[in-house]
Amino acid sequence: MHSPRSDEPIYWLLFGAGGLAMAIVVPSILIVLLAAGVASPDVNEGLLSFAQVKGLLGNWFLSLILFGVVFLTIWHSCHRIYHTLHDLTIHTTKLHFFVFYGLAACLSFALLALQFLVYCKLF
Amino acid sequence: MSEVKSYRKPFTPKVEANWWTKNPFYTRYMLREGTCLLGLFVSCEILLGIFLFAMCDLGAAEATAESAAPYMWWINSFVGNPIVMILNLIALAAVLFHAVTFFNMMPQAVRIFMNKNTTDLVPGSFIVIGLYAALAACTVVVLILAFASIP
Repeated sequence: MHSPRSDEPIYWLLFGAGGLAMAIVVPSILIVLLAAGVASPDVNEGLLSFAQVKGLLGNWFLSLILFGVVFLTIWHSCHRIYHTLHDLTIHTTKLHFFVFYGLAACLSFALLALQFLVYCKLF
Repeated sequence: MSEVKSYRKPFTPKVEANWWTKNPFYTRYMLREGTCLLGLFVSCEILLGIFLFAMCDLGAAEATAESAAPYMWWINSFVGNPIVMILNLIALAAVLFHAVTFFNMMPQAVRIFMNKNTTDLVPGSFIVIGLYAALAACTVVVLILAFASIP
């Protein structure tokens, strides 16, 4: 069965939203990660210490925002890698499609499950 | 898939895989496309951090170095590793390069009318400045959030 409707708009939407998320939010996340790497925190004190992250991930709003940003960045990146294969003179097939969007789907489900698990444990 | 045998012989011109290295404009284009690899790296780094955080003993009343060991390895030995920090620095430069090029092409993609009665568009510079303002505001909010919530 061949559907006359294209599924491309869904991936395009995720790609566009991911581009914006990656441009607006990811730089500041990277600055925090770099600062935490320099600070090398303890269990209870310092930037991104265990106690601080416990508080941040235990907040449903912040947890949801982090999920949204990382989820969109994953889909944006996988979509772009898939389409850049053409520029590297690789003719994409259905297999490439399943590998790259499958990777994005697996990573996002793993992220959702882990964040949900952490939130339930901290609740 | 069609069962009818196709007699088409499409002409596909031979293109070398390094075509983009011969013209600086194309090199810049491919560098821009390459920034998504670093985006995927950052996502996987955060995913690893959340995985290791979930592996910790979250039920413990008082967190100790033992109960928080997986997460402490991630923050001190992975994020604090010089190689990962250099990769993070490259990723920061890459996402900023992505941001600048993404914002600058936005006026071509987003076309907003001034109001219902005209065909005048909102000037592109408004959209670009708005996006840079969003980037600056978001950076300030995240940094305040990260540094103010230090216990």
